Amino acid sequence: MPVEGRRISDGSRRLGGVPNVAAALGCPWGPAASGKKMASQLLRIRALVGKELLDLARNRTALVPVMLVTILTLAMAFFIAIVVPSMTGHALSEDTELLKLSRLIGAHGTLSDDGQIELFFFQQFLMLFLVIPVTGAMALASHSVVGEKQARTLEPLLATPITTLELLVAKVLGALLPTLAISLAGLVLYFAGIAVFGESGVLRAMASARTAALVLLVAPAAALVSLQSAIVISSRVNDPRTAQQFGVMIIIPLSALLIAQFMGTVWLSATALALIGLGLAGLWILLTLFSVAIFERESILTRWR
Amino acid sequence: MRRFGSRVVVDDVTFDVGRSEIVALLGPNGAGKTTTLRMLAGLIAPTSGTVVIDGVPLTRATGALLRSRIGFLTEAPGLWDRLTVRENLQVYAGLYGLTNHGPVIDRVLDLFELTDRGATRAAELSKGMRQKVALARALLHEPRILLLDEPTSGLDPEITRSVRALLDERRAAGCSILVSTHNLDEAERLADRVAVLQGRLLALDSPASLRQRLRTGRVLVRLAGDPTAHVDLARRFDPEASMDGDTIVLRLAHPERETPALISLLAADNAPIVEVRQEVPLLEDVYLHLVGEKP
Repeated sequence: MPVEGRRISDGSRRLGGVPNVAAALGCPWGPAASGKKMASQLLRIRALVGKELLDLARNRTALVPVMLVTILTLAMAFFIAIVVPSMTGHALSEDTELLKLSRLIGAHGTLSDDGQIELFFFQQFLMLFLVIPVTGAMALASHSVVGEKQARTLEPLLATPITTLELLVAKVLGALLPTLAISLAGLVLYFAGIAVFGESGVLRAMASARTAALVLLVAPAAALVSLQSAIVISSRVNDPRTAQQFGVMIIIPLSALLIAQFMGTVWLSATALALIGLGLAGLWILLTLFSVAIFERESILTRWR
Repeated sequence: MRRFGSRVVVDDVTFDVGRSEIVALLGPNGAGKTTTLRMLAGLIAPTSGTVVIDGVPLTRATGALLRSRIGFLTEAPGLWDRLTVRENLQVYAGLYGLTNHGPVIDRVLDLFELTDRGATRAAELSKGMRQKVALARALLHEPRILLLDEPTSGLDPEITRSVRALLDERRAAGCSILVSTHNLDEAERLADRVAVLQGRLLALDSPASLRQRLRTGRVLVRLAGDPTAHVDLARRFDPEASMDGDTIVLRLAHPERETPALISLLAADNAPIVEVRQEVPLLEDVYLHLVGEKP
């Protein structure tokens, strides 16, 4: 029985061989050898991340919402903890319920009552401050795959040796890196503001294991999970608007956690935060594998319009 | 074979492209040309059948490796609009694993006369320029296999000519080239073989051989004056020989063998022969015949 097939060849039959096309043609700039598979992967990821960053740099308005959210959250913390008491002439510690609530995070003997409440506020806002910018970046991630399809740039991209894993990792990093840069800049301003406007000793009290867990673990891991989820959505829908609307749903559990913290219903210790951070990191790995498994190059190319 | 849902887009398509060969893929819209190219480029898998590149079957496992050997020009140029021409090429150089890619990019920019456009954003390029950049991108990693979906579409005649020259040069360098085109003249000029596709492979042969298939055997003898006195001689070869103005029209079963005898006979009869021409169909006629339309 004849086999249907399509054959394209150059006449050579190098079964299983790993060719180095450019090297075979005598080109000194040839692709990295197969033994350097990891280096090639990193090169491809770096190339695509570089493209994402360049694209964003040329379209800075896309980052304006992320920056605005960061600035607003930053301003809100200082407005509530510093500006409102000085405007009303009522010290924070006059609210005994608030003082009681603030002691949930652990009493700091060296801090005044006002300082204790400020510390409570700044700790609470720190989480909000670190996580909220991600919601803005999710809009970028949601658009990343479906946007390439709409711009008709996805097909030549998929025709390169890039693997699905490399593509998705690069897309997540492309949204994550600018977000982290903005968050980091905001963090510097946040701590500078606490140093300038906060009660004496609050800044020192902020430099805790809990803060480290939030900054170094929870925030990046939450960002990775959120952005990876957005990428999953982006690679399964055929309209950026749909992707964006699905993306918004991801912030619902995040908001619930933040509200519970503010109400004092849930107070997460440094250890709890570290565990959450590690859990989120694990979840990101699972999500990445899941997104690779469900990424259907064919469907995206042939069914999306 | 490739099926989308219950719709079979291509079926019974088997061909190979050898080293230093250009094969033109012809077919009407919806004939499955782009689907075939996408299958060859590893972007979509055949529902049944196999794609073999350099002796290696194209599978999910070998896809990334084999894609690195292919230069694929997609139907749309697909450039990132906010990036410059050079930046677009730089990203692809990285994706193809090229290190120290500056000289390579300089070379392809020079090849396509785009050097002075390197810093221009893709969004600002004309359609033809975009197509040139997309072609440059397909050749960036010196692939030995080129899959080109309508490479000269939207290009002006001058650029079209330079693209054809480039493909000639790539063929001479040993590349295997498959070109999808609607331009029959281009197929005839460029291709060593032509594959006519319409859901299935209707024909695969050299342009000359394809034309031969539709050869009618009609021979036209134009005389300087009224041919009435000589037409009876022609009727010895074809009883139904006729006249059309100053031309005798007849159909020969074996034109190569019979035409010299006919000419000798007419010359001996002092027929003032101006031109003797065998009617050869155009590739367009053959194509239209194959896809089921009257030429």
